[in-house]
Formats: sequence, structure tokens, C-alpha cells
Amino acid sequence: MDTNSETKKVGAVLVLGGGIGGIQASLDLAESGFLVYLVESSPAIGGIMAQLDKTFPTNDCSMCILAPKLVEAGRHLNIELITNAEVEEVSGEAGRFRVKIVRKPRYIDLEKCTGCGLCAQTELPPESELKETEGEIWVDRIMIDESKCIQCGDCVQACIEENKERQGLANIAFQRRQFLWLPPEEREGRAPETLMQTIALMDVASRNDFWQRELSKCIKCYGCRDVCPICICDECDLESADWIAPGQIPPDFPLFHLIRAYHVADSCVGCGACEATCPMNIPLLSIHNWVHRQDPQKLFELVPGLDPKTRRKLIDNVKRTPIAKRKVRV
Amino acid sequence: MNCDFILTTCPFCGCGCNLYLQVLDNQVTGIIPCKTDPISEGKLCIKGRHAHEFIHHADRLRTPLIRQGGRFRKASWAKALDVVSQRLSSIKRDFGPNAVAFLSSAKCTNEENFALMKFARTVIGTNNIDHCARLCHASTVTGLMSAFGSGAMTNSIPEIENADCIFVIGSNTIEQHPLIGARIVKAKEKGAKLIVADPRRTALVSYADVYLQIKPGTDVCLLNGFMNTLLQAGLIDNRFITERTEGFEAFRKKIEEYTPERVRKLAGINKNELQKAALAYGKAERATIIYAMGVTQHTTGTDNVRSCANLALLTGNVGRESTGVNPLRGQNNVQGACDMGALPNFYSGYQSVEDKAARGKFEGKWNTELPSQPGLTEVEMTDAAFEGSIKAMYIVGENPMLSEPFVGRVREALEALDFLVVQDVFLSETAKLADVVLPAASFAEKEGTFTNTDRRVLRVRKAIETVGESRPDWVIISQLAQRMGSDQFDYNSAPDIMMEISALTPIYGGISHERLDIGESLAWPCPRPDHLGTKFLHQGTFTRGKGCFTPVDYIEPAEMPDEEFPFILTTGRLMFHFHTGTITRRIPILDSEVSSGFVEVNPQDAQRLGIGQRSKVVVASRRGQIEVSASVTDRVPSGVVFIPFHFAECVANVLTAANLDPEAKIPELKVCAVNIKRRRKNA
Repeated sequence: MDTNSETKKVGAVLVLGGGIGGIQASLDLAESGFLVYLVESSPAIGGIMAQLDKTFPTNDCSMCILAPKLVEAGRHLNIELITNAEVEEVSGEAGRFRVKIVRKPRYIDLEKCTGCGLCAQTELPPESELKETEGEIWVDRIMIDESKCIQCGDCVQACIEENKERQGLANIAFQRRQFLWLPPEEREGRAPETLMQTIALMDVASRNDFWQRELSKCIKCYGCRDVCPICICDECDLESADWIAPGQIPPDFPLFHLIRAYHVADSCVGCGACEATCPMNIPLLSIHNWVHRQDPQKLFELVPGLDPKTRRKLIDNVKRTPIAKRKVRV
Repeated sequence: MNCDFILTTCPFCGCGCNLYLQVLDNQVTGIIPCKTDPISEGKLCIKGRHAHEFIHHADRLRTPLIRQGGRFRKASWAKALDVVSQRLSSIKRDFGPNAVAFLSSAKCTNEENFALMKFARTVIGTNNIDHCARLCHASTVTGLMSAFGSGAMTNSIPEIENADCIFVIGSNTIEQHPLIGARIVKAKEKGAKLIVADPRRTALVSYADVYLQIKPGTDVCLLNGFMNTLLQAGLIDNRFITERTEGFEAFRKKIEEYTPERVRKLAGINKNELQKAALAYGKAERATIIYAMGVTQHTTGTDNVRSCANLALLTGNVGRESTGVNPLRGQNNVQGACDMGALPNFYSGYQSVEDKAARGKFEGKWNTELPSQPGLTEVEMTDAAFEGSIKAMYIVGENPMLSEPFVGRVREALEALDFLVVQDVFLSETAKLADVVLPAASFAEKEGTFTNTDRRVLRVRKAIETVGESRPDWVIISQLAQRMGSDQFDYNSAPDIMMEISALTPIYGGISHERLDIGESLAWPCPRPDHLGTKFLHQGTFTRGKGCFTPVDYIEPAEMPDEEFPFILTTGRLMFHFHTGTITRRIPILDSEVSSGFVEVNPQDAQRLGIGQRSKVVVASRRGQIEVSASVTDRVPSGVVFIPFHFAECVANVLTAANLDPEAKIPELKVCAVNIKRRRKNA
């Protein structure tokens, strides 16, 4: 047996990626006696399979296969989960690698966090309230997703109000507070704005212009629909000549994209395939993020079909555009 | 159940996007974009996303057909090949080899184009071989060859993104090359200036900083005025001109004649706009010119291309990253078909048939004597067939009955032939006139390579067994050659042909299927197996040595509007269809977007003529007339009408004239005179 400490093999394994493949590999290795570091870039393990309903080709329930493995991987003494982290550097040779891992900021001080969940409630719908599991509060999922955060600061506010002494939202997050109320000249020099922030800072008119401009880039490839994992209808309203005249580039009614955005609003898994496949680089995921977050009244100043006045407005709008070939019943 | 994903190349435009074919039990069921492809980056246009839908179409030709007594009858391959070989042999014996003409296909692979080129030159012994590049970018080859020494896109597609100024002239990029159009928009969002010159207000115009709505056919005038403005403003690269170019003084005198006043009068562009555009181009660190058929399809096509080259030379915008003169080739493999020598005057790699050394090399390899006189070009073939000097034609995957100008004459010419063979995937309008129709395999059923518009050689892979009895084109050609007694066609596979191509073609010297299969992205020139391909051309020195300025004068299009035919007709393509529509009109989603042809008329003209939206009109020229519905739109200026040429029920090319560019022999498909009238009821 090699006893030289320079060349001795290490009894630990690093598994990169916490999808079903990584989880299974980790479990098998851990059972064989290795210490496993399971590194995952997103905040939680589970990967794509966790987003699926059924698996191909056996049509088995996806979660029924995955869930026991998730629990086992989470509790296994030989598995250390390192989520929300990326591998930066690998050195050494087979048998004794040194790996440098960068943990991404969570913006939460987990030691101080009481797990009250009020920060999340400010934006998430009530049903995603944090749950108590076996007497312990499951705090692992609280994280500020930078790509979606608009720095409104509501979560920090909630944290301060609820937890007078111990504020779990760390300093960085605290600094983000009130970003939206800063005058523009003071915003400069801070972290660059994300697209979500940019949109949030727009007034209604320029936000409308922004979406009109972005959506009129559409070249009608229907790629966003074709690659979407949850678009399964046999007939699709996007192809309906009543809404949008066929064969027109750019489409004369660019906001027809919102038909799809609202149609899939409650089932969108946020995978971003639509945005990735859009040849014209329309920020489609941002639409979906917004649609998830806020109601159309706040976003587009419109509540379709609610009161007669708005209904009128919608119909007038459709009539004004040349797409309305068929008579609209009022 | 057998499920597979095959990485292959899109069979439509020249962008050359890679994509995956989803194959389930020998059926192609879908397409998935390829995220690692440098061109498409996981994005596709509507045609690419539905490119598989024609593969199993019920109309696919599944057996050879032989005309007997005015009707097609199904035949066996042995019978069909016998008929073809006997007839071709007897015509060659009776009338000489130059009585046979070949049209190759820009839809087929490089290997197949090479095989057909070799067949024409060795088995028949004629240089009468051409393909549809004659109708789209022949003037690019002649124009850029004389200016730079290489007739292809100088820079690669991904570089467009980083240009500081993009000058798009005569290209409807967003519709015809969507993935390149998207890159232009991306560059624009990064801060590039965008100049668009086009008679028609295309989708790209809404992104433009300066839009120059020129009169059709006045490109030379515009470009000369453009360069005059640069000269006056002192925005020229003197160091580049003295070090790397020749012929500047004569050229300088010529462009000084093109004052802004003259440009305004001839091209309809006022001084301010011209100045704004010229300054944007001249001040940019990296400026690129993108052009397409709007520049080439003129009797002055070569001149237009030379003017584009002059502009790049004048400002030193060649031979660097994100600059250059970039012709966008229309078909998936039109670049490859030119490279492979499916041209009457070149062998593969642009080695001239008149060059004794080059001819000697090919003669040695193929062990036969080759003709030294350049053959006929595509439109000349039609003329020759019409006059009777060509007795037989062999057309592979082309549809001149829709794509060539003056279709009425094309029909007469093809009907006058003694013998016509058409090899295609569908029974096209041309195939309906054939004596023998041979069913060819589609892109999903064969191995090979395409060369896209930025000279990148891309793999095409077999996903399914051939549909019906169809066969890959190279197999058909090889078997026919063997039947006709040639021993030079014992290829076992497409890579065998590629080996022969790289042995005979210096610019393809280092390209092999093995290299492409391990994921290398190779753009020619790639002379050696260890060469990594050439991202952009003319770095340090031009292919021909020095860049050549050519003084070019403005010449009017051959047919200008008059009292009887007061409108200029310009033809073109749409986003949702491809060329003669043989394939795209059989794809349901594309057909539902645009199901038939139309003529775009300016609202002023429409009002004057009493034409309403979608009303039926008759468009007539000196050569024929078609009935088509009107689309009243300000996309076209007053006095100009536009008709897409995809549709067999209203063939735009019935109207166009076969006036040719004297050098490139490209027909003037972009300008002809027509009149337009409301269709009288019961007439």
C-alpha cells in the first residue's frame, strides 16, 4: 500500500452536478465507502428531472423515482452537499485532485436566519410559505436570485420588522435596500443593473415602448413555443390568423407574444429555453419572470375582460390593428 | 424502438446552421437546434425548425419515371439508367459532346457536385456545366475575383457582431438569412451604425440609422457618390491604398464625376442622407459591407460588386476582423457547388479550364483528355437549346421553369430538347417536362458536406434509409458513369469523393470527413491537414497580390419603364418560402403563413389604378403576363412593384427578361418593365 503522503490516494470523490445522474452516482459511491462532495450550481439538487411530470419512455412518475433519492442524498453521512457553487479550478492528478470551489452569494446569513419566511412572502405567493419539517425550519431554500432580483428591498424590510435583533438577510442584501429610490446619479457606479431592474425602473410608457421594440424583433419562427417543455396544445393561438396576420415580418401586432406568456404563466418552469432559442434574442424569460411576479394590471396597465371599460379598450385596440379581420362581438 | 439524434446541416439558406434530426424507427420526427454550433448558437428560423417535414411527404419521388406516349410510367433503376446512358451516348456520338448540357444543384452536397462536374467533363467531355449560382452570385465571383482574387465572403458570420458599421445593400437579410440578420441586429444593439440601401423597405430598415431608398438598378451611382463623399471628407485610408492596392488614380477621376447632385438625380438619394451614411461608414474602425441579390442580379451586376469592393479598398476595410465585403449566398451549398467547379469555366477550387497546368493535373488524375474551351452558362444553355445546338440536358435538383428569367422561352427551349433528364426529390415543374425522372435522396438520407456562405465546410449526415427507391445523387451519377464505360467512378462512399476533392483542390486540401467528424469547424482555404482553416481572407496580402480598383460607370438597367410598361418590377424571396417552393410549399406551417403569391403595390399607385387590398390584378411585361392578388403596402416606393418568385401558379419569372451581364452572364432579375391592371370580370 502506498504510504507516501505525496502520492497517497484520497478516499473522497467530487461529483459535479446534482441532477438525477449526479445524485445516483453520489449514492452509489457513498454506499461503497467514499466520502462524496456533491457540487451543484443551482441552489438545490434535483435538476431537470425534478421539473418533469413523467419520464420517457416508461411514463413513470418522475418525482416518485427522484424524491427518495433526494432525501437519501440529503441525509447520507458520506455525502456533503455543496449547492449554489461552481468549480473554478482543478489541479492534481487522478487519485488526488485539489478542487477550488466558489460558493455563490446567498445574501443570507444562515446563522442568524430564524427561518420565519417573511422575506419570501413579500414576493412569492402565499402557498410557497416555508414549511416546518420535523421540528426544524427548512431554511435552505431562501436565496436571492440575482438574475431576477429587482432590488426593491421589500424582503429586507420584512426581515427587519420581524426580527428586530437577528436579521438573517446579510449586509449585502441590506445595501440593496431602497435601490429603487436612489436618484439615478447615485445609482451609477453600483453593480450593473440586471435587465429585470432596468425594466422595473422604467415608467409605464417607456416600459410599453421597450416591450413593443423587443417583441417587434420577432421573425415568427415559433421557436419559443416549439422548444417549450410545457407547450402541448394541439391548436395554438399564436398561429391564429384572427389575432395576428400570417406572413408578416415584423408582426404588425407584436404584443401577441403575451398570449403565450399568460397562457403558460402558471405552469412555466422558468427553464429559459424560449429565450435561448430565440434567433432575435428577445428577452422572453424576463416576460415570464414578470408575469410570474406581478399581475398584468401592474405590468401592462390592463386587466383583460374585467370591467367593461378595459374590455372596451382591449377590443378597440384589436380593432385598430389590421389583424381583426373577423367581426369582434362586443 | 430505435431513437437517435443526428447532427446535420440545414438544407435551406446559406447560413449553414447545424441542427439535430430526431429519428424514431427510420422516421425523422423533429428538429432540435444545436447549441454548440458557432453559426446558429441553438437558434433557428422557421424554415430550419420545420426542415424535416418534407422528407416523408407523400409526393416524394419514389421510383424512376420514364415518359412513354406523353405519360410517365414507373420503371426500374436498371431500365431508367439504361435509357439515360443509351440516349446520352447516342447524342454525344451524333452531335458531339457539346450537344449535352448539365445543370448541377446548389442543394446537393459538395461530393455530388464534384461527381457531376467530373461526369460532364470526363464521361461526356463537355464543359457545359453550370448551376443556379449563375442566377444569384455569378457576378460576385467575377467581380470579387478581379478585385481581390477570391469570389467569396471575405469574413465569417460571427464576426459581423463586432463590426462598428454595417452597410447592407440589396439584401433582405432578416428574411433571407435570418441568423445573419439577427447578428446585424445584435451588432446594432451593441452600438454599431447600420446603413441599409434597398429600393424596398425590408424588415431590416426599422433598425437602420440611415435608410437609402434607391431606385432599382442605381447601385453603381449610389456607391460612386458614396465614395466621392468619403473622398471629399478625407475619410480614406491612404496608407492602405498605396501599400496594398493598384489602379487608384484612374478610379479617383471616375468617382469625382459622381457629385451628390448627380446621385440625387439618378438614384433619388439626397445629399444629407448620402453624407450621413458615408460618414458613418468612413469613420468606423471596422466597417463591413453585406450584400446579396439586390446587387448581383443586374446587367451591371459585376460592376455593382466591383463598386462594393472599391468602397472597401478605399477605406481599408478588408483583411481585418469584422470588416470586408460579404456576399450572402442564397442556397445551402451554392458556395460549395461553385467551389466544386460546377461552372463552365472552372474546375474545383476555381482552377481555370483554360489553364494548361490545371487541366493537365485533372487529366492526369482522371486519365482522360479534357475540353479546354469554357462551356455555356445557364441562361446561354436555354438559348442554345432553343436554337437547337443543345440536344440533351441533365438537370439535377434545379427548377429553371420557375427560377430562370423569361419562363415562356425556357419552356419552349426544354420542350425542344431531344432528351431531358431531371433528378430531383419532387416532381418539379421542370421534371414534368422530362423524358426520364430519377428520384434523388434528400439531405437526411445521405452523407456529405455543404459549404455555407462564410466558406465553412459542414457535415451532412445520414439519418434514415432512403425513401422509396430513391438514391443519393452521387450514387446515381456513379452508376450512370459506370454504365457508360467509365472506370473513374468506383466510389464506395462520400468520403472517398472528398479524398479526391482534397487531392485535386488546393483550397480544400486539408478537409476530410474525419476532421469534420471530430468537430473541427473548417473554412477554406484550408490547404493542409494540419491547417485550421481561414476565418477571414486577404490578411496581409490579397489572394491576387494587390487589391484592384476598377473605375466603374453607371449604366441604366437594360429595360427601363416606358409609357406602355410604366412600372419597375423587382423580384425576390420571402421569409417563409425557399426559391421555387418545391420543398417549402409542402411544409404545412410555411404554407399556412404564405400560401400564394402576391404583388406589392404602393398605396399611391394602387389608388390611381383602383386596386384594393387583395384585389386580383394582371401584371404584364413584354414577355408574358400573370394573374396575382395585390398587396397594397408602402414597403415598395411608388413606381416599383415587387413579386416573390416562389409560386408556380403565378410565376414572377414569366415577366422577367433574360438580359445578361456581359461578364458574369447573370440575368437581370431585379429590374424589368411591367404594367399592372385590375382584372376585368368575365374577361
